[in-house]
Amino acid sequence: MNASSSNKSLIKCSDVNVYYADQQALFNINLDIKEKEVTSLIGPSGCGKSTFLRCINRMNDVIDICKVEGSIEIDGQNIYDTEVDVVELRSRIGMVFQKPNPFPKSVYDNVAYGPKLHGRILHQSDLDRKVEESLERAGLWAEVKDRLQEPGTSLSGGQQQRLCIARAIAIDPSVILMDEPCSALDPIATAKIEELIDELKSKYTITIVTHSMQQAARVSQRTAFFHLGKLIEVGDTEKIFRSPDHEQTEAYVTGRYG
Amino acid sequence: MTEEHIVTSFDDELTELTDGLVNLGNLAQVALSNVEMALKTNDHNLAQETIDADKKINELELKLEEMTFNILAKRQPMANDLRNVFSSVKVSLFLERIGDMCKGVCKRIVKGDLLNAKSPKTIDALVDLTNDVQKNLDLVLEDYAQGKADNALKVWRSDIKIDSSYASILTAILDDIRNKPEAIEALVPLFFIARYLERIGDQATNIAEVNHFIVTGEVLTDDRKIESEEETVF
Repeated sequence: MNASSSNKSLIKCSDVNVYYADQQALFNINLDIKEKEVTSLIGPSGCGKSTFLRCINRMNDVIDICKVEGSIEIDGQNIYDTEVDVVELRSRIGMVFQKPNPFPKSVYDNVAYGPKLHGRILHQSDLDRKVEESLERAGLWAEVKDRLQEPGTSLSGGQQQRLCIARAIAIDPSVILMDEPCSALDPIATAKIEELIDELKSKYTITIVTHSMQQAARVSQRTAFFHLGKLIEVGDTEKIFRSPDHEQTEAYVTGRYG
Repeated sequence: MTEEHIVTSFDDELTELTDGLVNLGNLAQVALSNVEMALKTNDHNLAQETIDADKKINELELKLEEMTFNILAKRQPMANDLRNVFSSVKVSLFLERIGDMCKGVCKRIVKGDLLNAKSPKTIDALVDLTNDVQKNLDLVLEDYAQGKADNALKVWRSDIKIDSSYASILTAILDDIRNKPEAIEALVPLFFIARYLERIGDQATNIAEVNHFIVTGEVLTDDRKIESEEETVF
Protein backbone atom coordinates (compact mmCIF):
# COMPACT_ATOMS: atom_id res chain seq x y z
CA MET A 1 0.00 0.00 0.00
CA ASN A 2 2.86 2.35 -0.72
CA ALA A 3 2.50 5.39 -2.92
CA SER A 4 4.94 5.90 -5.70
CA SER A 5 7.91 8.17 -5.23
CA SER A 6 11.17 8.52 -7.08
CA ASN A 7 13.22 8.16 -3.90
CA LYS A 8 14.30 4.67 -2.88
CA SER A 9 13.07 3.09 0.34
CA LEU A 10 15.62 3.44 3.14
CA ILE A 11 13.50 1.75 5.80
CA LYS A 12 11.43 -1.32 4.98
CA CYS A 13 9.04 -2.54 7.65
CA SER A 14 7.53 -5.97 7.04
CA ASP A 15 4.81 -7.65 9.08
CA VAL A 16 5.66 -5.72 12.20
CA ASN A 17 3.62 -6.81 15.23
CA VAL A 18 4.17 -5.30 18.64
CA TYR A 19 2.83 -6.58 21.94
CA TYR A 20 2.84 -5.09 25.42
CA ALA A 21 2.49 -8.33 27.41
CA ASP A 22 -0.75 -9.88 26.07
CA GLN A 23 -1.96 -6.65 24.52
CA GLN A 24 -1.21 -6.30 20.82
CA ALA A 25 -0.34 -2.69 19.95
CA LEU A 26 0.59 -3.01 16.26
CA PHE A 27 -0.82 -5.42 13.70
CA ASN A 28 1.10 -6.50 10.60
CA ILE A 29 2.54 -3.14 9.68
CA ASN A 30 4.07 -3.07 6.22
CA LEU A 31 5.48 0.34 5.48
CA ASP A 32 8.37 1.60 3.40
CA ILE A 33 9.96 4.90 4.35
CA LYS A 34 11.64 6.70 1.50
CA GLU A 35 15.11 8.14 1.65
CA LYS A 36 15.49 11.90 2.09
CA GLU A 37 11.80 12.49 2.41
CA VAL A 38 9.62 13.42 5.33
CA THR A 39 7.04 10.81 6.28
CA SER A 40 4.29 11.81 8.70
CA LEU A 41 2.61 9.30 10.95
CA ILE A 42 -0.87 10.45 11.90
CA GLY A 43 -3.78 8.95 13.79
CA PRO A 44 -5.76 9.35 17.01
CA SER A 45 -4.10 8.90 20.40
CA GLY A 46 -3.34 5.28 21.14
CA CYS A 47 -3.34 4.24 17.47
CA GLY A 48 0.25 2.98 17.65
CA LYS A 49 2.09 5.65 15.69
CA SER A 50 4.56 6.45 18.49
CA THR A 51 5.00 2.76 19.25
CA PHE A 52 5.84 2.25 15.60
CA LEU A 53 8.27 5.18 15.60
CA ARG A 54 10.03 3.73 18.61
CA CYS A 55 10.43 0.39 16.85
CA ILE A 56 12.64 2.09 14.27
CA ASN A 57 15.42 2.80 16.76
CA ARG A 58 14.61 -0.11 19.09
CA MET A 59 13.58 2.16 21.91
CA ASN A 60 10.96 -0.40 22.83
CA ASP A 61 13.81 -2.72 23.89
CA VAL A 62 13.93 -0.96 27.24
CA ILE A 63 10.32 -1.94 27.98
CA ASP A 64 10.49 -5.44 29.43
CA ILE A 65 6.96 -6.44 28.51
CA CYS A 66 7.31 -5.20 24.94
CA LYS A 67 7.82 -7.77 22.18
CA VAL A 68 8.47 -6.81 18.55
CA GLU A 69 7.94 -9.29 15.71
CA GLY A 70 8.60 -8.94 12.00
CA SER A 71 11.44 -7.15 10.33
CA ILE A 72 12.56 -3.54 10.06
CA GLU A 73 15.35 -3.15 7.56
CA ILE A 74 17.41 0.00 7.38
CA ASP A 75 19.59 0.06 4.29
CA GLY A 76 19.07 -3.67 3.88
CA GLN A 77 19.89 -4.70 7.45
CA ASN A 78 17.22 -6.02 9.79
CA ILE A 79 17.73 -3.94 12.92
CA TYR A 80 16.18 -6.70 15.04
CA ASP A 81 18.87 -9.24 14.06
CA THR A 82 20.65 -10.54 17.16
CA GLU A 83 24.08 -9.36 16.02
CA VAL A 84 22.95 -5.72 15.66
CA ASP A 85 24.72 -3.37 18.07
CA VAL A 86 21.91 -1.18 19.42
CA VAL A 87 24.25 1.64 20.45
CA GLU A 88 25.73 1.74 16.95
CA LEU A 89 22.19 1.56 15.48
CA ARG A 90 21.07 4.57 17.50
CA SER A 91 24.09 6.50 16.30
CA ARG A 92 22.55 6.22 12.82
CA ILE A 93 19.12 7.28 14.01
CA GLY A 94 18.59 10.61 15.74
CA MET A 95 15.50 11.13 17.86
CA VAL A 96 13.68 14.29 18.84
CA PHE A 97 10.97 14.12 21.48
CA GLN A 98 7.75 15.94 22.23
CA LYS A 99 9.20 18.06 24.99
CA PRO A 100 12.63 19.59 24.45
CA ASN A 101 14.98 17.61 26.68
CA PRO A 102 18.44 19.17 26.61
CA PHE A 103 20.99 17.53 28.91
CA PRO A 104 21.79 19.54 32.05
CA LYS A 105 24.95 20.67 30.36
CA SER A 106 26.11 23.65 28.36
CA VAL A 107 24.82 24.35 24.86
CA TYR A 108 28.21 23.24 23.53
CA ASP A 109 28.30 20.00 25.53
CA ASN A 110 24.77 19.11 24.51
CA VAL A 111 25.86 18.98 20.89
CA ALA A 112 29.35 17.58 21.55
CA TYR A 113 28.03 14.79 23.75
CA GLY A 114 27.08 12.35 20.97
CA PRO A 115 30.23 12.65 18.84
CA LYS A 116 32.36 12.29 22.00
CA LEU A 117 30.34 9.31 23.27
CA HIS A 118 30.72 7.47 20.00
CA GLY A 119 34.43 8.35 19.93
CA ARG A 120 34.12 9.75 16.46
CA ILE A 121 35.95 12.99 17.01
CA LEU A 122 39.30 13.06 18.76
CA HIS A 123 40.58 16.59 18.29
CA GLN A 124 39.08 19.60 19.99
CA SER A 125 39.19 21.70 16.83
CA ASP A 126 37.22 19.03 14.96
CA LEU A 127 34.69 18.94 17.76
CA ASP A 128 34.35 22.73 17.69
CA ARG A 129 33.72 22.52 13.98
CA LYS A 130 31.13 19.74 14.42
CA VAL A 131 29.29 21.71 17.13
CA GLU A 132 29.20 24.83 14.99
CA GLU A 133 28.14 22.90 11.89
CA SER A 134 25.34 21.08 13.75
CA LEU A 135 24.04 24.26 15.37
CA GLU A 136 24.24 26.00 12.02
CA ARG A 137 22.29 23.21 10.34
CA ALA A 138 19.70 23.37 13.12
CA GLY A 139 19.31 27.09 12.46
CA LEU A 140 20.53 27.98 15.95
CA TRP A 141 24.16 29.04 15.55
CA ALA A 142 23.48 32.74 15.09
CA GLU A 143 21.37 32.79 18.23
CA VAL A 144 23.73 30.86 20.53
CA LYS A 145 27.24 31.40 19.21
CA ASP A 146 27.97 33.76 22.12
CA ARG A 147 26.19 31.57 24.67
CA LEU A 148 27.85 28.23 24.06
CA GLN A 149 28.86 27.78 27.69
CA GLU A 150 25.44 28.68 29.07
CA PRO A 151 23.19 25.81 30.17
CA GLY A 152 21.07 24.37 27.35
CA THR A 153 18.09 24.68 29.64
CA SER A 154 18.49 28.47 29.70
CA LEU A 155 17.35 28.71 26.07
CA SER A 156 13.73 29.31 25.05
CA GLY A 157 11.51 26.29 24.35
CA GLY A 158 11.90 26.60 20.60
CA GLN A 159 15.66 27.07 20.88
CA GLN A 160 15.89 24.05 23.17
CA GLN A 161 14.07 21.93 20.60
CA ARG A 162 16.43 23.12 17.86
CA LEU A 163 19.31 22.34 20.24
CA CYS A 164 17.93 18.80 20.51
CA ILE A 165 17.83 18.63 16.72
CA ALA A 166 21.44 19.88 16.58
CA ARG A 167 22.35 17.19 19.13
CA ALA A 168 20.60 14.57 17.00
CA ILE A 169 22.36 15.56 13.77
CA ALA A 170 25.79 15.94 15.41
CA ILE A 171 26.21 12.17 15.20
CA ASP A 172 25.61 12.19 11.44
CA PRO A 173 22.54 9.98 11.43
CA SER A 174 20.86 8.89 8.24
CA VAL A 175 17.43 8.90 9.90
CA ILE A 176 15.80 11.40 12.23
CA LEU A 177 12.72 10.36 14.17
CA MET A 178 10.53 13.10 15.61
CA ASP A 179 7.77 12.40 18.09
CA GLU A 180 5.44 15.42 18.06
CA PRO A 181 8.40 17.81 18.04
CA CYS A 182 6.30 20.98 18.05
CA SER A 183 3.52 20.11 20.45
CA ALA A 184 5.11 22.09 23.28
CA LEU A 185 6.08 25.07 21.13
CA ASP A 186 4.44 28.35 20.21
CA PRO A 187 3.52 29.07 16.55
CA ILE A 188 6.72 31.00 15.80
CA ALA A 189 8.96 28.28 17.24
CA THR A 190 6.83 25.70 15.42
CA ALA A 191 7.31 27.55 12.12
CA LYS A 192 11.08 27.56 12.65
CA ILE A 193 11.12 23.81 13.32
CA GLU A 194 8.96 23.18 10.25
CA GLU A 195 11.29 25.30 8.14
CA LEU A 196 14.20 23.33 9.57
CA ILE A 197 12.55 19.98 8.79
CA ASP A 198 12.13 21.15 5.21
CA GLU A 199 15.83 21.98 4.97
CA LEU A 200 17.01 18.83 6.74
CA LYS A 201 15.22 16.50 4.37
CA SER A 202 17.85 17.11 1.69
CA LYS A 203 20.31 15.22 3.90
CA TYR A 204 18.26 13.03 6.22
CA THR A 205 15.31 10.66 6.10
CA ILE A 206 12.78 12.06 8.53
CA THR A 207 9.80 10.37 10.14
CA ILE A 208 7.55 12.55 12.24
CA VAL A 209 4.62 11.75 14.49
CA THR A 210 2.22 14.66 14.58
CA HIS A 211 -1.27 15.40 15.79
CA SER A 212 -1.50 18.44 13.58
CA MET A 213 -2.98 17.55 10.21
CA GLN A 214 -1.89 20.89 8.82
CA GLN A 215 1.65 20.27 9.99
CA ALA A 216 1.70 16.87 8.30
CA ALA A 217 0.35 18.51 5.15
CA ARG A 218 2.99 21.23 5.28
CA VAL A 219 6.13 19.28 6.09
CA SER A 220 5.80 15.78 4.70
CA GLN A 221 5.89 14.23 1.27
CA ARG A 222 4.21 11.04 2.45
CA THR A 223 1.69 10.39 5.17
CA ALA A 224 0.68 7.18 6.92
CA PHE A 225 -2.58 6.93 8.84
CA PHE A 226 -2.75 4.54 11.78
CA HIS A 227 -5.89 3.44 13.56
CA LEU A 228 -6.22 0.95 16.42
CA GLY A 229 -2.73 -0.42 15.78
CA LYS A 230 -3.25 -0.90 12.06
CA LEU A 231 -1.81 0.98 9.15
CA ILE A 232 -4.94 2.03 7.30
CA GLU A 233 -3.48 4.02 4.46
CA VAL A 234 -0.17 5.43 3.29
CA GLY A 235 0.40 7.63 0.30
CA ASP A 236 1.53 10.95 -1.06
CA THR A 237 0.60 13.60 1.49
CA GLU A 238 -1.27 15.62 -1.11
CA LYS A 239 -3.45 12.63 -1.93
CA ILE A 240 -4.10 11.76 1.74
CA PHE A 241 -5.33 15.26 2.50
CA ARG A 242 -7.17 15.93 -0.76
CA SER A 243 -8.88 12.64 -1.48
CA PRO A 244 -7.78 9.66 0.57
CA ASP A 245 -8.78 6.21 -0.61
CA HIS A 246 -9.95 4.90 2.73
CA GLU A 247 -13.10 6.12 4.44
CA GLN A 248 -11.50 5.96 7.90
CA THR A 249 -8.67 8.21 6.74
CA GLU A 250 -11.18 10.68 5.33
CA ALA A 251 -13.15 10.66 8.58
CA TYR A 252 -10.00 11.31 10.61
CA VAL A 253 -8.45 14.05 8.50
CA THR A 254 -11.75 15.92 8.25
CA GLY A 255 -12.29 15.83 12.00
CA ARG A 256 -15.22 13.44 11.97
CA TYR A 257 -13.50 10.72 13.92
CA GLY A 258 -14.15 10.62 17.66
CA MET B 1 -19.58 11.03 4.17
CA THR B 2 -22.57 11.48 6.45
CA GLU B 3 -20.91 11.41 9.87
CA GLU B 4 -20.86 14.68 11.72
CA HIS B 5 -17.74 16.58 12.65
CA ILE B 6 -16.53 16.47 16.23
CA VAL B 7 -16.78 20.28 16.15
CA THR B 8 -20.50 20.68 15.44
CA SER B 9 -20.22 24.38 14.64
CA PHE B 10 -18.12 23.35 11.62
CA ASP B 11 -21.07 21.25 10.43
CA ASP B 12 -23.35 24.24 10.94
CA GLU B 13 -21.07 26.44 8.83
CA LEU B 14 -20.86 23.86 6.04
CA THR B 15 -24.63 23.42 6.06
CA GLU B 16 -25.11 27.18 5.91
CA LEU B 17 -22.70 27.38 2.99
CA THR B 18 -24.41 24.57 1.07
CA ASP B 19 -27.86 26.01 1.77
CA GLY B 20 -26.65 29.40 0.57
CA LEU B 21 -25.37 27.88 -2.66
CA VAL B 22 -28.62 26.01 -3.21
CA ASN B 23 -30.44 29.35 -2.77
CA LEU B 24 -28.09 31.01 -5.21
CA GLY B 25 -28.75 28.15 -7.62
CA ASN B 26 -32.49 28.71 -7.23
CA LEU B 27 -32.09 32.39 -8.04
CA ALA B 28 -30.10 31.52 -11.16
CA GLN B 29 -32.77 28.98 -12.17
CA VAL B 30 -35.50 31.58 -11.72
CA ALA B 31 -33.53 34.09 -13.80
CA LEU B 32 -33.11 31.55 -16.60
CA SER B 33 -36.73 30.52 -16.42
CA ASN B 34 -37.69 34.21 -16.71
CA VAL B 35 -35.42 34.49 -19.75
CA GLU B 36 -37.24 31.62 -21.39
CA MET B 37 -40.66 33.14 -20.66
CA ALA B 38 -39.60 36.65 -21.68
CA LEU B 39 -38.14 35.33 -24.95
CA LYS B 40 -41.33 33.42 -25.67
CA THR B 41 -43.70 36.25 -24.86
CA ASN B 42 -41.46 39.30 -25.35
CA ASP B 43 -42.44 40.28 -21.81
CA HIS B 44 -40.57 43.48 -21.05
CA ASN B 45 -41.79 43.68 -17.47
CA LEU B 46 -40.54 40.22 -16.66
CA ALA B 47 -37.24 41.02 -18.35
CA GLN B 48 -36.90 44.18 -16.28
CA GLU B 49 -37.70 42.24 -13.08
CA THR B 50 -34.93 39.80 -13.97
CA ILE B 51 -32.47 42.62 -14.53
CA ASP B 52 -33.37 44.10 -11.14
CA ALA B 53 -33.18 40.71 -9.39
CA ASP B 54 -29.57 40.22 -10.51
CA LYS B 55 -28.52 42.49 -7.64
CA LYS B 56 -29.73 39.83 -5.21
CA ILE B 57 -27.62 37.20 -6.95
CA ASN B 58 -24.54 39.38 -6.74
CA GLU B 59 -25.12 40.11 -3.07
CA LEU B 60 -25.60 36.47 -2.19
CA GLU B 61 -22.49 35.50 -4.17
CA LEU B 62 -20.43 38.00 -2.14
CA LYS B 63 -21.91 36.71 1.11
CA LEU B 64 -21.02 33.13 0.19
CA GLU B 65 -17.53 34.18 -0.80
CA GLU B 66 -17.07 35.72 2.64
CA MET B 67 -18.42 32.61 4.36
CA THR B 68 -16.00 30.43 2.40
CA PHE B 69 -13.12 32.72 3.25
CA ASN B 70 -13.94 32.47 6.95
CA ILE B 71 -14.28 28.69 6.85
CA LEU B 72 -10.89 28.35 5.16
CA ALA B 73 -9.29 30.64 7.70
CA LYS B 74 -10.92 29.10 10.75
CA ARG B 75 -11.20 25.40 9.92
CA GLN B 76 -8.45 24.60 7.43
CA PRO B 77 -10.64 21.88 5.91
CA MET B 78 -9.19 18.65 4.58
CA ALA B 79 -10.19 15.97 2.05
CA ASN B 80 -13.89 16.06 1.12
CA ASP B 81 -14.44 19.19 3.21
CA LEU B 82 -11.60 20.90 1.39
CA ARG B 83 -13.01 19.85 -1.97
CA ASN B 84 -16.45 21.09 -0.94
CA VAL B 85 -15.36 24.44 0.42
CA PHE B 86 -12.93 25.13 -2.42
CA SER B 87 -15.59 24.17 -4.97
CA SER B 88 -18.20 26.41 -3.40
CA VAL B 89 -16.14 29.42 -4.52
CA LYS B 90 -16.20 28.17 -8.09
CA VAL B 91 -19.90 27.22 -8.11
CA SER B 92 -20.96 30.57 -6.68
CA LEU B 93 -18.93 32.37 -9.35
CA PHE B 94 -20.46 30.24 -12.11
CA LEU B 95 -23.95 30.99 -10.78
CA GLU B 96 -23.20 34.68 -10.52
CA ARG B 97 -22.06 34.64 -14.14
CA ILE B 98 -25.32 32.91 -15.14
CA GLY B 99 -27.16 35.76 -13.43
CA ASP B 100 -25.13 38.28 -15.41
CA MET B 101 -25.84 36.52 -18.70
CA CYS B 102 -29.55 36.27 -17.99
CA LYS B 103 -29.43 39.99 -17.29
CA GLY B 104 -27.66 40.48 -20.63
CA VAL B 105 -30.42 38.67 -22.52
CA CYS B 106 -33.11 40.60 -20.64
CA LYS B 107 -31.50 43.93 -21.46
CA ARG B 108 -31.79 43.05 -25.15
CA ILE B 109 -35.46 42.15 -24.67
CA VAL B 110 -36.20 45.42 -22.84
CA LYS B 111 -34.49 47.33 -25.66
CA GLY B 112 -37.04 45.81 -28.05
CA ASP B 113 -34.52 43.74 -29.96
CA LEU B 114 -36.87 40.76 -30.35
CA LEU B 115 -39.53 42.69 -32.22
CA ASN B 116 -36.98 44.61 -34.24
CA ALA B 117 -35.36 41.41 -35.46
CA LYS B 118 -38.59 40.19 -37.05
CA SER B 119 -37.24 36.67 -37.01
CA PRO B 120 -39.73 34.44 -35.14
CA LYS B 121 -38.03 31.24 -36.26
CA THR B 122 -34.72 32.28 -34.72
CA ILE B 123 -36.49 33.36 -31.53
CA ASP B 124 -38.14 29.94 -31.34
CA ALA B 125 -34.72 28.36 -31.74
CA LEU B 126 -33.41 30.59 -28.93
CA VAL B 127 -36.28 29.41 -26.71
CA ASP B 128 -35.40 25.79 -27.51
CA LEU B 129 -31.76 26.50 -26.70
CA THR B 130 -32.83 28.05 -23.40
CA ASN B 131 -34.83 24.92 -22.60
CA ASP B 132 -31.82 22.68 -23.22
CA VAL B 133 -29.61 24.90 -21.09
CA GLN B 134 -32.24 24.93 -18.34
CA LYS B 135 -32.36 21.14 -18.27
CA ASN B 136 -28.61 20.94 -17.78
CA LEU B 137 -28.60 23.61 -15.11
CA ASP B 138 -31.41 21.83 -13.24
CA LEU B 139 -29.51 18.53 -13.37
CA VAL B 140 -26.21 19.88 -12.10
CA LEU B 141 -27.84 21.93 -9.34
CA GLU B 142 -29.84 18.91 -8.22
CA ASP B 143 -26.59 16.92 -8.09
CA TYR B 144 -24.86 19.71 -6.18
CA ALA B 145 -27.61 19.96 -3.58
CA GLN B 146 -27.43 16.19 -3.02
CA GLY B 147 -23.64 15.97 -3.02
CA LYS B 148 -23.69 13.73 -6.10
CA ALA B 149 -22.23 13.75 -9.59
CA ASP B 150 -24.67 11.34 -11.20
CA ASN B 151 -25.46 13.70 -14.09
CA ALA B 152 -21.97 15.08 -14.65
CA LEU B 153 -21.16 13.05 -17.75
CA LYS B 154 -24.69 13.34 -19.10
CA VAL B 155 -24.45 17.12 -18.94
CA TRP B 156 -21.04 17.02 -20.61
CA ARG B 157 -22.49 15.03 -23.44
CA SER B 158 -25.51 17.25 -23.91
CA ASP B 159 -23.38 20.39 -23.94
CA ILE B 160 -22.27 19.22 -27.37
CA LYS B 161 -25.90 19.43 -28.46
CA ILE B 162 -26.12 22.96 -27.04
CA ASP B 163 -22.98 23.98 -28.92
CA SER B 164 -24.41 22.55 -32.11
CA SER B 165 -27.78 24.32 -31.64
CA TYR B 166 -25.85 27.54 -31.03
CA ALA B 167 -23.92 27.00 -34.25
CA SER B 168 -27.17 26.39 -36.18
CA ILE B 169 -28.69 29.59 -34.77
CA LEU B 170 -25.63 31.57 -35.85
CA THR B 171 -25.87 30.08 -39.33
CA ALA B 172 -29.57 30.96 -39.53
CA ILE B 173 -28.91 34.56 -38.44
CA LEU B 174 -26.10 34.84 -41.00
CA ASP B 175 -28.43 33.54 -43.71
CA ASP B 176 -31.04 36.13 -42.70
CA ILE B 177 -28.43 38.87 -42.87
CA ARG B 178 -27.33 37.69 -46.31
CA ASN B 179 -30.95 37.74 -47.50
CA LYS B 180 -31.77 41.08 -45.88
CA PRO B 181 -28.54 43.07 -45.54
CA GLU B 182 -30.53 46.13 -44.53
CA ALA B 183 -31.71 44.28 -41.38
CA ILE B 184 -28.21 43.65 -40.08
CA GLU B 185 -28.52 46.02 -37.10
CA ALA B 186 -31.80 44.44 -36.06
CA LEU B 187 -30.44 40.89 -36.37
CA VAL B 188 -27.04 41.26 -34.70
CA PRO B 189 -28.55 41.44 -31.15
CA LEU B 190 -29.82 37.88 -31.66
CA PHE B 191 -26.19 36.81 -32.00
CA PHE B 192 -25.51 38.19 -28.54
CA ILE B 193 -28.56 36.49 -27.05
CA ALA B 194 -27.48 33.15 -28.54
CA ARG B 195 -23.96 33.70 -27.24
CA TYR B 196 -25.24 34.42 -23.71
CA LEU B 197 -27.32 31.25 -23.72
CA GLU B 198 -24.45 29.13 -25.00
CA ARG B 199 -22.22 30.55 -22.24
CA ILE B 200 -24.86 29.69 -19.62
CA GLY B 201 -24.67 26.13 -20.95
CA ASP B 202 -20.91 26.24 -20.42
CA GLN B 203 -21.39 27.35 -16.82
CA ALA B 204 -23.69 24.37 -16.24
CA THR B 205 -20.96 22.13 -17.66
CA ASN B 206 -18.47 23.79 -15.32
CA ILE B 207 -20.72 22.98 -12.37
CA ALA B 208 -20.91 19.37 -13.60
CA GLU B 209 -17.10 19.26 -13.52
CA VAL B 210 -17.07 20.65 -9.99
CA ASN B 211 -19.62 18.04 -8.86
CA HIS B 212 -17.42 15.33 -10.30
CA PHE B 213 -14.39 16.75 -8.48
CA ILE B 214 -16.21 17.01 -5.16
CA VAL B 215 -17.35 13.40 -5.31
CA THR B 216 -14.27 11.73 -6.80
CA GLY B 217 -11.39 14.10 -6.05
CA GLU B 218 -10.49 13.88 -9.73
CA VAL B 219 -10.75 16.46 -12.46
CA LEU B 220 -12.75 15.65 -15.57
CA THR B 221 -10.31 16.03 -18.41
CA ASP B 222 -10.74 16.82 -22.07
CA ASP B 223 -9.82 13.22 -22.90
CA ARG B 224 -12.87 12.02 -21.05
CA LYS B 225 -14.98 14.49 -22.92
CA ILE B 226 -13.66 13.08 -26.18
CA GLU B 227 -14.35 9.56 -24.89
CA SER B 228 -17.91 10.51 -24.05
CA GLU B 229 -18.32 12.14 -27.44
CA GLU B 230 -17.25 8.88 -29.03
CA GLU B 231 -19.73 7.01 -26.89
CA THR B 232 -22.44 9.33 -28.11
CA VAL B 233 -21.57 8.54 -31.71
CA PHE B 234 -22.06 4.85 -31.09
